[in-house]
Amino acid sequence: MESNGIDRDDAAAQLAALQADRVALAERVVQPWWYDVALGLLLFGFVASYAFDSLWVTFPAMVVFFAGLGALVAAYKRITGVWVTAGARVLVPWAALVLLVLVPAFVLAEGHGHHWVMVPAGAVLGLAVMVMGRVWGRAYADHLRGGAL
Amino acid sequence: MTAVAPHFDAVIHPPPRLQICGLLAAVETMEFAAVRDAVGVSDSVLSKHVKQLEEAGYVQLRKATIASRQRTSLALTKAGRTAFDAHVAELRRIVGA
Repeated sequence: MESNGIDRDDAAAQLAALQADRVALAERVVQPWWYDVALGLLLFGFVASYAFDSLWVTFPAMVVFFAGLGALVAAYKRITGVWVTAGARVLVPWAALVLLVLVPAFVLAEGHGHHWVMVPAGAVLGLAVMVMGRVWGRAYADHLRGGAL
Repeated sequence: MTAVAPHFDAVIHPPPRLQICGLLAAVETMEFAAVRDAVGVSDSVLSKHVKQLEEAGYVQLRKATIASRQRTSLALTKAGRTAFDAHVAELRRIVGA
């Protein structure tokens, strides 16, 4: 079969080349381990800062959190040369977990004065983002290696 | 990938441009230098191909200054993604997959 000057062998070779590029790309997109650790620590620090119940602590913690996020994004782009936006399959479960942890934590902290609960809440979310970041990074690389174009 | 009608695209067809679109289809943005290294061409050759894809409305260039260095990244537009998917579907149709 031929179309627009491309025969079956040419088309098969072009599809194979595209797949080979995706496999090569998969080797570079997984973030280094310290990226997930730093992200987890930043999130822990920000959430746990609410335990002090003071804007003088929370506001600087928020500034550090967003500055750290910016630095991590810049580092990822510099190391890998790419940027990938998380899709709904990643964001929806993450948002559900955040709500599941933060809503009861804020109820206990603000409604009942148990501000200390923000420390374990931060630890849970920080640990979760570390583990899920590794899982999602590897899943994306596997998708590139074996998924359809 | 969403099912699209197979369509041969003469802008995407040349191997370097097909390769550029294939790389960009897998990511949100990719640095110019990373695309150049992956495709294995010089800056000027890549610029020529990117310009043709840009003129077709398939690729968007984004420039940012980071640490006093200008970095250029490339992204497929929505039209570019649709055209690439249709071209790949056409290749699959020819192969009979």
